[in-house]
Amino acid sequence: MSVRSVDPPADRTSTGRRVLTRPLAATTYLLRNAGKSIPLTAVIVLAVMLVAGIISMINSIPLSIRVIYNYSREFTGITPRGDAARTQPILDEIKKKSPIPIERIIVCRTTATVVQSIVGKWPFYIAGLKQDDLQYYLDRQGSKGLDGRLPGAGKAEAVISRPVAQNLGLKLGSELLGPEKDDGFSPNSVKVVGIADTDRWVMLTSIEYLQDFHFPPIDIGILCAPTPAEQSKLDLWAEKYFKGRPVAVLAYHQVEKDTNDMFATLYQILNVVIGTLVLVITTMMGMLMNIYQSQRLVEFGLLQALGYTKKQLLSRVVIETILVVVFGWLLGLLAAYGLLNVAKQTLMDPKAFALNVLDPVAYAYSIPLPIAILIVAIATVVLRFRKFDPIGVVERRIV
Amino acid sequence: MLQVKSASLVYQDQGRDLFACREVSLEVRENEFLGILGPSGSGKSSLLYLMSGLKTPSSGQITFDGKPLSGMDDASRANLRLKEFGFVFQQPYLLGYLSAIENVLVAQPSGGTIESATDLLTSLGLANKLHRLPHELSGGERQRVCVARALMGNPRIIFADEPTASLDHKNGVAVVNLLNDLRGKGALVMVTHDPTMLERADRIVRLVDGHVSEPNLS
Repeated sequence: MSVRSVDPPADRTSTGRRVLTRPLAATTYLLRNAGKSIPLTAVIVLAVMLVAGIISMINSIPLSIRVIYNYSREFTGITPRGDAARTQPILDEIKKKSPIPIERIIVCRTTATVVQSIVGKWPFYIAGLKQDDLQYYLDRQGSKGLDGRLPGAGKAEAVISRPVAQNLGLKLGSELLGPEKDDGFSPNSVKVVGIADTDRWVMLTSIEYLQDFHFPPIDIGILCAPTPAEQSKLDLWAEKYFKGRPVAVLAYHQVEKDTNDMFATLYQILNVVIGTLVLVITTMMGMLMNIYQSQRLVEFGLLQALGYTKKQLLSRVVIETILVVVFGWLLGLLAAYGLLNVAKQTLMDPKAFALNVLDPVAYAYSIPLPIAILIVAIATVVLRFRKFDPIGVVERRIV
Repeated sequence: MLQVKSASLVYQDQGRDLFACREVSLEVRENEFLGILGPSGSGKSSLLYLMSGLKTPSSGQITFDGKPLSGMDDASRANLRLKEFGFVFQQPYLLGYLSAIENVLVAQPSGGTIESATDLLTSLGLANKLHRLPHELSGGERQRVCVARALMGNPRIIFADEPTASLDHKNGVAVVNLLNDLRGKGALVMVTHDPTMLERADRIVRLVDGHVSEPNLS
């Protein structure tokens, strides 16, 4: 058998790469000059990843507040001020006057402990409920099951939800409150006897135990409406109805409002920081683009001398720039998503800290970057082309 | 085909007029090899740029098929260069990221055929180097790719501006002969300071200090 060498076909290079019949397509330069286009794209990727990452991480703080206190969506809390004996009369009045149907009224006591957040310890309330109300409360918080059991009446026992167990590193038999615990004092060691399977943050014990061993001796009314919409209406009605009276109304929308107020200034500062970052990165990209295009003066001069118009060359460069910027931006979003997932899995999830890896606000914050870079890069190229003389290139005055 | 009528190109230098070309008149006829000979700084290249529409004369007129180039907008002049003219410059400028054959195809933006580019490069002795990148070619080979690019699409006039400047004499003569042999029905206008490169020219115009001193030596 004879062996003979075979030349590559005319439309293929010796390395198998296809010969381009339109060699000046916008992608050609980018793909065949990866050493130049990759660093440019990488700068955009890093910038987008940085912006989206920072915003997501900062947004995780108010998100944590909303997640941790989300349990309060399920009820309207009512507590008297100045007279602990007024709870029952107030609840009786609500029963008579409320225009919104109330599915259940629960009377509870509370004591405080803390949970860990990304920015330190936050207060969290342990609700003491009657035996009849414990399961109802858990069901209302979306519990799909219970590992262990509910706390016994008057016993130093507690049931917590999965995120709380994760956050505080508790399991069945662990001590939730105790005489040695500064953040969660109780004269007896209160042990975890049940872990509820729900995403909500919940800590429950028996009302009798809190009545016997904890202060203040104030009962709190928990009003549960049949639907979330009716719950919101009940919140608003109760606030309006008890306005000016010695009654405190606790509603979820207050958590929202307080959180928004708390972070309003931080977001203003953040806007300035991100704006400055965009400006710095854009200026840097403008300079990089300038250097990048300066390296191609011979190419532009030659093509113009051969008969390509400035408009054609400019269109090509603009398309190349758009491709680099858009590709860099999309890749940056993917990189941010990947980075946030890693942060979530390694830093946040073990402590049940909230982090939205698909936070639309974070990704929206990165949009000004490609737009600003595109504007500066195109403006740089246009200015360069305006005074460009191809003769200078072919005569080797500009090389 | 192409007529230069009393064309001058004047640069301003500290308030003084410097003539790159002064009242030059000549004609490029169909299918001829016109040599423009002159020493360095005589205005040969400037005249070539005027004739090819790369520069606009300060006075006088240049017409192609009876149409004045100065009456055309930039886009039309560019289109004329792309479709009707071919160029070979002093330096063998090629796009470094394109192979030899792709550099030739650049002259046909609407999509030249690979076959015709292959034929041209083969005629120029580059059959086995079609897919080499410019840095993989010698200076002479690069200039031959430039010649192929200039010939692509059968232009009506090929302007060659000292195409042998970067080559040794032997390679220079070879490139000029190839240009002349492969130009088909197109005219060849070649600017040089070396009279031996114009041995096969139909006519030679000598330029001195920007004006024509001997309109026809042949």
